[in-house]
Amino acid sequence: MGLLTILIFLPLLATLLILALPISVRNSYKYIALAFTLLQFALSAYMYSNFDDSLGGIHNYEGYQYVEQLPWIRLDLGTIGILEIDYFVGIDGVSLPLLVLSTLVMLMGIGASWNIQKSTKGYYALLMLLNMAVMGIFAALDFFLFYVFYEVMLLPLYFLIGIWGGDRREYAAIKFFIYTLLGSVLMLLVIVGLYFSVINPTTGAHSFNMLLMMDPANYIDGSFFGFISNYHELFGVPSRWIGFAVLFFAFAIKVPIVPLHTWLPDAHVEAPTPVSIILAGILLKIGGYGIIRVCYGIFPDIAANSNYWLALIGVISILYGAFNALAQKDLKRMIAYSSVSHMGFVLLGIASLTAEGLSGAMFQMISHGFLSAALFFLVGVLYDRVHDRYIYHFRGLASIMPKYTAYVALAFFASLGLPGFSAFIGEAFVIIGAFNAESMATGVPRWMAIGGSIGILLSAAYFLWTLQRMFFGKIRVKGGQAWQEALTDLSRREQLILFPALALALILGIMPSLVFSKINASVLQLIDLIQPYL
Amino acid sequence: MISITHFLIVSAIIFCIGVYAILAKRNAIMILVGIELMINASILNFVAFARYDSVNYGGQVFALFAIVLAAAAVAVGLAIILNVYRHYKTIDPKNINELKD
Amino acid sequence: MNELSPISPSVASLLVVLLPFLACVVQALLGRKSISGNISLIAIVSSALLSFFAVFLPVWGNSPMAERITWFTIGQTSFEVGLLLNNLTVLMQLIVCVVAVPVHIYSRYYMKGDSGIHRYWMYLSLFCFAMLGLSISINLLQLYVFWELVGFASYLMIGFWFTRDAAVQANKKAFLINRIGDLGFLIGIALVYSHVGTLDIVALFDQTGRFVQGLTETGGLQVVQKDNTWVTLAGLAFFLGAMAKSAQFPLHVWLPDAMEGPTSVSSLIHAATMVAAGVFLLCTVFPLFNATSLLVITAIGTITALSGAVFALAQYDIKKILAFSTISQLGFMIVGVGIGAWDTALFHLATHAFFKCLLFLAAGAVIHEMAHFKAQTNLDFDPQDIRNMGGLRRYMPKTYVCMSIAALALAGFPLTSGYLSKDSIVVSAYEWASTAGGFYFVIPVTLIIVSLLTAFYIGRLIFKTFFGSFAMQSSVTAHNRPHEAPAGMWWPMSVLSICCFFPVFGLHPLAYHQTWIIQTFHARPGFTEQETAHLIIPIVLTVGTLLALLLGWFWYVKNRYPISQQNRWIRFANRQGYLNEFNELVFIKGTVGLSRLLYAFDRHVVDGATKLFTWTTQQLARLIHWFDANIVDGIVNWIANGTYYMGHLVRQVQNGQLQNYLGFALTIVILGILYLIIK
Repeated sequence: MGLLTILIFLPLLATLLILALPISVRNSYKYIALAFTLLQFALSAYMYSNFDDSLGGIHNYEGYQYVEQLPWIRLDLGTIGILEIDYFVGIDGVSLPLLVLSTLVMLMGIGASWNIQKSTKGYYALLMLLNMAVMGIFAALDFFLFYVFYEVMLLPLYFLIGIWGGDRREYAAIKFFIYTLLGSVLMLLVIVGLYFSVINPTTGAHSFNMLLMMDPANYIDGSFFGFISNYHELFGVPSRWIGFAVLFFAFAIKVPIVPLHTWLPDAHVEAPTPVSIILAGILLKIGGYGIIRVCYGIFPDIAANSNYWLALIGVISILYGAFNALAQKDLKRMIAYSSVSHMGFVLLGIASLTAEGLSGAMFQMISHGFLSAALFFLVGVLYDRVHDRYIYHFRGLASIMPKYTAYVALAFFASLGLPGFSAFIGEAFVIIGAFNAESMATGVPRWMAIGGSIGILLSAAYFLWTLQRMFFGKIRVKGGQAWQEALTDLSRREQLILFPALALALILGIMPSLVFSKINASVLQLIDLIQPYL
Repeated sequence: MISITHFLIVSAIIFCIGVYAILAKRNAIMILVGIELMINASILNFVAFARYDSVNYGGQVFALFAIVLAAAAVAVGLAIILNVYRHYKTIDPKNINELKD
Repeated sequence: MNELSPISPSVASLLVVLLPFLACVVQALLGRKSISGNISLIAIVSSALLSFFAVFLPVWGNSPMAERITWFTIGQTSFEVGLLLNNLTVLMQLIVCVVAVPVHIYSRYYMKGDSGIHRYWMYLSLFCFAMLGLSISINLLQLYVFWELVGFASYLMIGFWFTRDAAVQANKKAFLINRIGDLGFLIGIALVYSHVGTLDIVALFDQTGRFVQGLTETGGLQVVQKDNTWVTLAGLAFFLGAMAKSAQFPLHVWLPDAMEGPTSVSSLIHAATMVAAGVFLLCTVFPLFNATSLLVITAIGTITALSGAVFALAQYDIKKILAFSTISQLGFMIVGVGIGAWDTALFHLATHAFFKCLLFLAAGAVIHEMAHFKAQTNLDFDPQDIRNMGGLRRYMPKTYVCMSIAALALAGFPLTSGYLSKDSIVVSAYEWASTAGGFYFVIPVTLIIVSLLTAFYIGRLIFKTFFGSFAMQSSVTAHNRPHEAPAGMWWPMSVLSICCFFPVFGLHPLAYHQTWIIQTFHARPGFTEQETAHLIIPIVLTVGTLLALLLGWFWYVKNRYPISQQNRWIRFANRQGYLNEFNELVFIKGTVGLSRLLYAFDRHVVDGATKLFTWTTQQLARLIHWFDANIVDGIVNWIANGTYYMGHLVRQVQNGQLQNYLGFALTIVILGILYLIIK
């Protein structure tokens, strides 16, 4: 059993343990969750340090590391052949940083759940199940396995929002669930289509193996998704376009892009703080990861031709999200919309198809991962104390909660792209990459890059406005004296959670090579994969 | 000239009165009377048709036979009615419904 | 001169940058435990000494040095950070250090007793770190990093008194407007990167760089054609960055508001150093500019110089007068860059740094004492309003002398440094115009007018503050009266006032060509020198300045003020040309309105579409449910019910009534007979 398997299934062990323990030891659940997550984090850190930077991965089997491939399901289907599904996991430069990020954000999530009182057994069991699914998604290389993890992820989230959420939790949970399911069900169709189009050259059977799907030679001539001599059309659209569009749609809901984003503000606002953290910190990245790994990996020909539209969607998301954030009165909703805006950069960077843009997009995902986690945690701190997060109800918090204000100011400035923090590197390189796209003739015009950069300006506007409105000025809070007493400064535990996130933002901002060195080979490999079709 | 048709019409009228009595009367005795009327209507037919059997007088013989039978049946019927009355304190057949399903 | 220092200039310059950073970190860790500011002071003094002895002296006038290390690699491109030590960068670094030291000393007294003083020292050191780092960056990306950090430090400093609404509004405004410039800078970087493929300043702009003309034939490097559209655009993008940072019209609006910060900060950040960063950037990327972008730069600079001076005429707040004066002088420098004589721009930058810093420090001393007086007498007045001052010459003679020297330098009086540097720009502008001819003379003429206006408004400031009679004379008692500033405050001022005289920059009092800055840089602008201009323009300027001062003297000291305060033009200048109102109306209201509109769109249309979809699905579900309940299930139920009712109906027959049975039997018989008959 390899390291990666252990990393994926450790949380499942934790789930079983938590379920097995009697309710009388309910105080131990959080320690179990914490211990397992810490172990996971240590494992991922070990994997990070032993990662070979020079290997690219993407469509190259040899480029993957910590690979495990075991036959999982073999079913003789008679005339159709043998159903071949593998337990196939492995990581490359695209998935490694996201794995490390996930374990870290999970740790933050556990820390933020410390005060949860409502049926802790179910809560931690579901949280650990979610943890497993997320790890599985980032590591799976068999499309069927990927899909299984993808669906397993939905279940715990639905309950976590629906049971431990705010006032309109059922609405938000259902909205979230239906939205994601809509995407994944369509994805299943494409998976099956791909399955029947691809042949494993060694066994001669159809295969769910993603790496096989990335090699044009493995496609059956004239099959539905075949590369060459493919005249299949659906409603007048070539079938490969359809496949790409459907997969993109599925992942775009997760990113989320405008106009498929409306589940996000609702889910974030209603979800409890730890779930918001995980949602923003990890789950949005699954969208970006899926686009890179699946859409671009399996459909490089379409990726090369569709990037104008992807970039356009990215720019619209950036600007639209930023303007919406500017109009918010609820702090958490504002941050949710800012996520839409910041994830737009990811899409723009991916669509630019330049090394700078893709690296910037990856970096932005990592950076947004823990920065948004920190932001949601900070909102949670305020909400914990006075059960209110309406921006107009606070003023002059800097005088009441100086430490909190310092952390908020740092997190805000880090998010708005102050150099020295990670978001700057991500956003700047997305912009530079998008600019470079015209020189590389990848089809993304310059005005989109300029549009994206206006998003940076707007993000400064809404963060600074919030900072000025809530934290500076004379003290005036809605709840009067009672609130002033309730608004205690950050506790030691809260600082312990926040400090690493912001410190990491700073470290990555100063030493971006920590991430860039790991992803560089993969990014180049991906560009090599797409380049012939440009 | 009184033809056989006239007999038959009278007989049919009597028969119908008998049927009416059986179907409509609320009194078991009146129903019995109706039965008698019907028997008598048939006897009248026998007698009327006996005109065509002038050798054996079968019609007349049957008429006598039927009268005897009818008298006996009336006696039995009255006895049943009497018993029913004792048992149910009524002779309205609507109320005597304990044999119903 | 290498023997002067035991360490190499590169290491020294790195130390110069890192010492303030270290001070910032230590101060942040100590927090309230350290309020003396000694840490920051020691750091900046060591930086200044190192900068002068170990960096400036060995490098100045010698060949440049560069050190690089790889920062990170993306794709096949490596991004590097490093130090670039050439005349320009070491001069900038030195100016920053030298101005920062007196400000640090001054701040110890000026900020004494403030409850947030530990933050003050932290921010001040952070600013010094960012500014010093900016000055010696070798990579445009690295430059951009420090460029934004400088803006961030400025944000923190403007909002230092964060409980004041005006202050936090001002710092937000400053950061956002600077962000606009930053975007320009970023776009410029992206353009250069995507066309040339490197961001290294040496590779781009040095003597052998890809943007330097005249080397087209030599060297293997392909030199960029400067008449490409993208070069113009990149030049304008960089200039947009400089416009925001150097407060050029119409992006200057943040600077007057930034005066909400402590005065010591205004003197360092918003007068001497940070605002000069834009000029520094333009000088760094100067080879990038082609004729079109240079013309735009010149035009904007002229407009800025004029509008700044005009707005300064009608301000009452002592700091706002100085702020507009700064804007106007920055306009001069930008014109200097625009006409190609960027050495004169740098020279003016250097001299301006000293005298404007001094002006602010002196103004700070005045404000400090006025506030002190206000606290003593419990009067309610604005200690920054020059209408509440007057006659302070008697109470604060040392401050008066220092400020007057700085004012004369600003006005361009002979023997001062300002005379040299301002003349250099105006004369160059004249020569430039006479080479270009015709309409271009508008620019030198405007500059001359602005110089006269400068003399007038700074004279107004001095006269209203120090001459005449004190406006609060009635409250002055033997005990309660304005004092001279404490020694710790006027010592730095006197040091700076020495720097306002010509010997610091050159031995000849009247010829700017002989100053060491101009001689070393020796930019080769594309126009011919004219002897007559060198003679006539200084005379015109000096005489004009004297006349303007004289006019001020009559108007303000002798109280022969001829114009009503309600004059439309004065109100226009006082309200800064209604630019803030315009911005508020157009940009802020516009953005906020757009954001509200989009949010409404999001809620009603986008989310509405989701809801419509949900609603449609629900309605469809209801319809199908109705069909299912009434049609599909309906048929089943109908059959069942029909059978039931039939049974119910037929069941009536079986009622135990003999008569009924007979009746039915009869009916059937009759029906049967009827059937037989009819058939």
